[in-house]
Amino acid sequence: MRLLLVGALLLCAAAAVESKPPLDTLGIPPQDEAYYRGGVIKCRDGSGRFSRDQLNDDFCDCPDGTDEPGTSACPEAKFYCKNSGHTPVTIFSSRVNDGICDCCDGSDEYDSNVTCKNTCWEAGKVAREKLKKKVATYKNGVVIRKQEVERAKEAFANDEAELAKLKGEEKILQGLVDKLKEQKRLIEKAEEEERLRKEKEEKRIKEKAEKQATVEKGAPDASQDVDSKETQDHVQEDENKVAEQHDGHATDHDNHVTESGASAEQHGSVSKDGISAETGTVDELPQKESAAPTLEKDLSSDNPEGLSREELGRMVASRWTGESVNEVSKDDKKGHEDEQEIPEPAEEALEDELEIPEPAEENYGGYHSEVEDDRHKYEDEEFDHESEDEYVDDHDDHVESYRSDDDQKGDHHSDLTEPGHASWLDKIQQTVQNVFQKFNFFKTPVDLSEASRVRKEYDDASSKLSKIQSKISSLAEKLKHDFGKDKEFYSFYDQCFETKEGKYTYKVCAYKKASQAEGHSSTNLGRWDKFEESYRVMHFSNGDKCWNGPDRSLKVRLRCGLSNELSDVDEPSRCEYVAVLSTPAVCVEEKLKELQNKLDAMSSKQPGHDEL
Amino acid sequence: MDPPPRRLAAPLLLLLLLLAAASPAARAWKKDEFRNCNQTPFCKRARTRAPHSLDAPLSLAAGSLAVSHDGSISAELSHPSRPRPLVLRLSALPPHALRLQIDEDYSTATPPHRRFHVPDVLLPDLEARTLHFPEPKTAAGVSTVALSSDLDVVVKHDPFELTVRRAGSGDPVLSFNSHGLFDFEPMRESKPEDETWEEHFRSHTDKRPRGPQSITFDVSFYGADFVYGLPEHGSTSLALRPTRGPGVEESEPYRLFNLDVFEYLHESPFGLYGSIPFMIGHGDRASSGFFWLNAAEMQIDVLAPGWDGATAQENGRIDTLWMAEAGVVDAFFFVGSEPKDVIKQYISVTGTPSMPQQFATAYHQCRWNYRDEADVDGVDAGFDEHDIPYDVLWLDIEHTDGKRYFTWDRSAFPNPEEMQRKIADKGRKMVTIVDPHIKRDSSFHLHQEATDKGYYVKDANGNDYDGWCWPGSSSYPDMLNPEIREWWADKFSYENYKGSTPTLYIWNDMNEPSVFNGPEVTMPRDAMHYGDAEHRELHNAYGYYFHMATADGLLKRGEGKDRPFVLSRAFFAGSQRYGAVWTGDNSADWDHLKSSIPMVLTLGLAGLPFSGADVGGFFGNPEPDLLVRWYQVGAFYPFFRGHAHHDTKRREPWLFGERRTVILREAIHMRYSLLPYFYTLFREASVNGIPVMRPLWLEFPDDKETYNNGEAFMVGPSLLAQGIYEEGQKSVSVYLPGKESWYDLRNGSPYKGSVTHKLQVLEDSIPSFQRAGTIVPRKDRFRRSSTQMVNDPYTLVIALNSSGAAEGELYVDDGKSYDYQQGAFIHRRFVFADNKLTSFNIAPDNLGKKFTSDCVIERIIVLGLRSVAKKAIIEPGNQEVEIESGPISLRSGSSPVAPTIRRPYVRIADSWTIRIA
Repeated sequence: MRLLLVGALLLCAAAAVESKPPLDTLGIPPQDEAYYRGGVIKCRDGSGRFSRDQLNDDFCDCPDGTDEPGTSACPEAKFYCKNSGHTPVTIFSSRVNDGICDCCDGSDEYDSNVTCKNTCWEAGKVAREKLKKKVATYKNGVVIRKQEVERAKEAFANDEAELAKLKGEEKILQGLVDKLKEQKRLIEKAEEEERLRKEKEEKRIKEKAEKQATVEKGAPDASQDVDSKETQDHVQEDENKVAEQHDGHATDHDNHVTESGASAEQHGSVSKDGISAETGTVDELPQKESAAPTLEKDLSSDNPEGLSREELGRMVASRWTGESVNEVSKDDKKGHEDEQEIPEPAEEALEDELEIPEPAEENYGGYHSEVEDDRHKYEDEEFDHESEDEYVDDHDDHVESYRSDDDQKGDHHSDLTEPGHASWLDKIQQTVQNVFQKFNFFKTPVDLSEASRVRKEYDDASSKLSKIQSKISSLAEKLKHDFGKDKEFYSFYDQCFETKEGKYTYKVCAYKKASQAEGHSSTNLGRWDKFEESYRVMHFSNGDKCWNGPDRSLKVRLRCGLSNELSDVDEPSRCEYVAVLSTPAVCVEEKLKELQNKLDAMSSKQPGHDEL
Repeated sequence: MDPPPRRLAAPLLLLLLLLAAASPAARAWKKDEFRNCNQTPFCKRARTRAPHSLDAPLSLAAGSLAVSHDGSISAELSHPSRPRPLVLRLSALPPHALRLQIDEDYSTATPPHRRFHVPDVLLPDLEARTLHFPEPKTAAGVSTVALSSDLDVVVKHDPFELTVRRAGSGDPVLSFNSHGLFDFEPMRESKPEDETWEEHFRSHTDKRPRGPQSITFDVSFYGADFVYGLPEHGSTSLALRPTRGPGVEESEPYRLFNLDVFEYLHESPFGLYGSIPFMIGHGDRASSGFFWLNAAEMQIDVLAPGWDGATAQENGRIDTLWMAEAGVVDAFFFVGSEPKDVIKQYISVTGTPSMPQQFATAYHQCRWNYRDEADVDGVDAGFDEHDIPYDVLWLDIEHTDGKRYFTWDRSAFPNPEEMQRKIADKGRKMVTIVDPHIKRDSSFHLHQEATDKGYYVKDANGNDYDGWCWPGSSSYPDMLNPEIREWWADKFSYENYKGSTPTLYIWNDMNEPSVFNGPEVTMPRDAMHYGDAEHRELHNAYGYYFHMATADGLLKRGEGKDRPFVLSRAFFAGSQRYGAVWTGDNSADWDHLKSSIPMVLTLGLAGLPFSGADVGGFFGNPEPDLLVRWYQVGAFYPFFRGHAHHDTKRREPWLFGERRTVILREAIHMRYSLLPYFYTLFREASVNGIPVMRPLWLEFPDDKETYNNGEAFMVGPSLLAQGIYEEGQKSVSVYLPGKESWYDLRNGSPYKGSVTHKLQVLEDSIPSFQRAGTIVPRKDRFRRSSTQMVNDPYTLVIALNSSGAAEGELYVDDGKSYDYQQGAFIHRRFVFADNKLTSFNIAPDNLGKKFTSDCVIERIIVLGLRSVAKKAIIEPGNQEVEIESGPISLRSGSSPVAPTIRRPYVRIADSWTIRIA
């Protein structure tokens, strides 16, 4: 039966190719056939009209091609091939009778020296199979997407609740901190008064003693010693505050700050100078600076006398290549590129939305746990984007503080609702109350242990406050982002997607940044910019500067897939990267319907159906 | 992928960025790296010399002037203080050309080295074509001899001076040494103790073991308003601006020294990639030319009137000073009644341009680099997707395995044959780059072979010269040696060049030669070549020999049946015989777009009709508007190629939004539609050297308005175009020469001649016109590439002049083979007069092979037709066809503007007449 069918089809196709098709339908899509009925037909662009015998007479009467849908006479005309068994297509008139088979039914070469085989049946079958797979992917993808959207809504609500809660806590804490601060101020005032009094007293005693024994020299007073130490502590504290503020604009490596007071000072000063406090920068800086003049000389080439012949060759070559003089040559650069995987050929591109169905991977990780791992891999990268830094800063604290303070490492959201958490705030409040009650401001001398307790409480509370504030700002920052119509990209916020191409590892963190890593060195391919093309593309821009080129940027094209997978990283123009991310987030129902309709249409147009 | 940048300390990076941003000059031309005239002793000496101030002026030895047995005139030049006399030889070349040769007399005392004569540039039959001089008449120290019926050569004996003058009027046309600046430093036996011959430039030392040997002389062009030629320099001026004399600020002379100049200036007398020591003088009374065959460094001053202190300035004379570091005098004086005659004479000496294949005249798409097979596929598909035709896809250096030419980077191009086949299936071709530097890598067979055979250029110590280029340490085959050229040519066989196929053609770059660590980014002058020649003596011709060997390689590969296509960056006189050249690494700015026109026109005047500039500009990112304007101009370049540096953004013509895609497609389509016309013009160039793209004055030699117009240009005799060279320009002044009208190519509107028209600037085209009185053949159907257009019908556009007449030509052959040399071509002349169009055969029909075509003419547009006839009659056959009003171009929205003969369907191969009834 099938053989018969195919046989009939071939016969039919052969006949179609050999006989010149009727001029009044040649190259005209069925929906337009009505337009061409009648004796005088108008050019669509209104430029004129033509008689029926001028239709497809191989002479262009309408510059827009209305009169020559079936020939190559009008450059702007389009030719319709029916392609029974496959999908009809419309091709440029430049392809008609040009000796190259463009339509699978061969109808575009009705008057040329080539004979085109009708390949629609085979090609159609392959296309239908592909489309079927694609539809299947979409079907599953739509389900996953729905789940994700649900989860995202929940997570979003949780985050909003968390934010509200944090804001409440912030208010309370702020009150406490203010109180403690006031108390601390009073204590300090009292201490100061006491100190002055003591000093006066000492002075009095000292003068007395001097009078008594002029030979005796005044040894430093123990209490004075304590005082000066305290003053230093204040300074230290202030500097810590400064350092913290700066850390807000620096990188995760500033966790040194909180780890050791000594390095905090150092970092603080570095930050003040406006140089990013990247790990190692401080140590490397002098070395790099000393290297600078040499390189400068190389590049300006004003004085090649000092260069070896090879250096001179490299230096001159570098003008064209834009490479560092120290790199070997364009050749070697290419050598690196060689290891890049070549993107799959065009077929892949056509079918790029197809994904082999795979069990959906649960990627909806926790907010911090996921990121935490990533951060460690980012050891030597800069995170100087403001919003991000705050987030990172929070995270840095979090490494220690969440462990110690929250006891609940892991999901940030649930923390807040648990009773244990609430008691944390109560505890502080309680403690502070105790402190207030216990401390006697009018007692002289000041009870030193009480004073230090007040200071400790103040320090604790204000550090807690700053943590909460930083959580608030990072959360607020997060919620500000565009997560798509259905918040379908909500989970992207805390995820990074990775792929390896050759020796490079590409890492794309939505809403944050993208990078290319090779060994320990990493290049910033761009910071999060926005979604483009109605959420079909993620755009990262303003990455590391390219020599003689643009700042690096990356466009990630999203296609429907059952899990989040990054692939096909390419660099079509220098430093302008592209990649593909398969994700259920873009498996939308409308597209599924569209594909389903297309598949239905294709299946119904099978020649089998036509013949029978 | 781009490697991560080296970590630079932030302050340094900042500094570099600031430098790059604040002063573009910091990135641009490195003036200090190149020698100026003052740093070049022979130039400095010659340039500062006053007229008639030579210590030892040369004069004709008494009684030495005589006609030799070969018909030439010989004489001795001497001065009592000189060690040896010089030998002078004058020969007459028909028509109207004189050759002057001066060399040392090696018969009396032999110097240790002979001076270098540039071989393989002049046509081999030159001697045979030399006329026999009649006996000269000598009186009062002046000898006169007839060069032709209307020209005399006058030789003054003491001091020696030569003038070519008109026989009747006695008006001089060209003269040599009329300012007494002729100096010829004799070769010396050995270096005197008290002299230093070494020259130092920056870190380089030139040993100059042979000492000074420079030559200087002055040449005057009489009746010339301007002089032209001397490629290659960046310039927005078509005429050569004076470099010295009243009104000239400090200027270098025009330098001819082939160099790879990074980010060259669009306006500078500094020498670029190629050198042609040929100058044309033109005025309304005379056209003349002077060519000095010498491949050493040359510096030429164009002297402003009054430079010599003369008060009574002779009207219309331009003096020039020619200085060369080495070589001999082998000079040609050309006298034409018309400027085209001067070019023809130059071509008759240096050879006719090769006839390109049809595909090579179409659009080329290049980039440094299309990185791999997928990239090639993608770009190829992009053109099809956007219905933009192109014919050739190019691969730059990255396609090789580590810059070892003739190899493939197999990770990026695992199947080069398959890739080429896929491209060829669409009728397209590919080009790969092959540069002269060979990677010094013992595992590279080419290097091994060249080393073993001793085929490399040697350094001053006799070792293989080792320079630095793309592959790193590299050596350079000695292309001066015919045996080595032969060897090189064999490397292009399919067997030797693995992965090459018959649709792969070649690009020669870096053949100045470029040497990154050499003096002035080239080879040291004391490097040694075949035949005991120093590099200094042949430097300017190295790239020429390389181009020659490569073209011969492709010719051999195709068994002499396939016309080679080789693009070269370096060139010399004669390069026209081997292929196309382009203007090198230009920049994506408006000035470079503007200077591309005088540069391409100048190449054409100097015998190289097949040239173009990188469309879009090589360095930098063109603004989209600049790119569009560049395509619109580039579509008229004889060689039309888009190219870009690897640091630039992708700029394939569909990447700039829908509107611009339409405009760019339009520009490329226009070129494709004019391909039959272009091909006909290439035919003309291949016969007599008349360039495809021409200065206006070549077509209108009497119209003074045109003499220094470097903004507008002619394509052939029929079309005039002018670029838009400014961003956002709203209106443009276009001078249309001649008495006849011009028709706007876009809408057929007529414009008066001899008038400067102020035109509104359109977004979608540049001003372009067809001259009244011409017929232009077109093909208005578009295809993927020129290959699929072969059988498509023609459109004739007839623009009638004031007497209702017009004519034009069409040349067609198989587009690829040499069969046309045996007569296998169609050559028609179309003549329209008295309401009748006639097609005449102008091909000689007794040459042997035949070529025919079934192509017909589908449409004839007649601009300026007064008749309102609705019918035309075709003879023979007495067949009636319709005349309707039709548009001039088939673009949506165009309206009917001119009577159009519908479907005459006459064959281009036949003779016929169409009479408008």
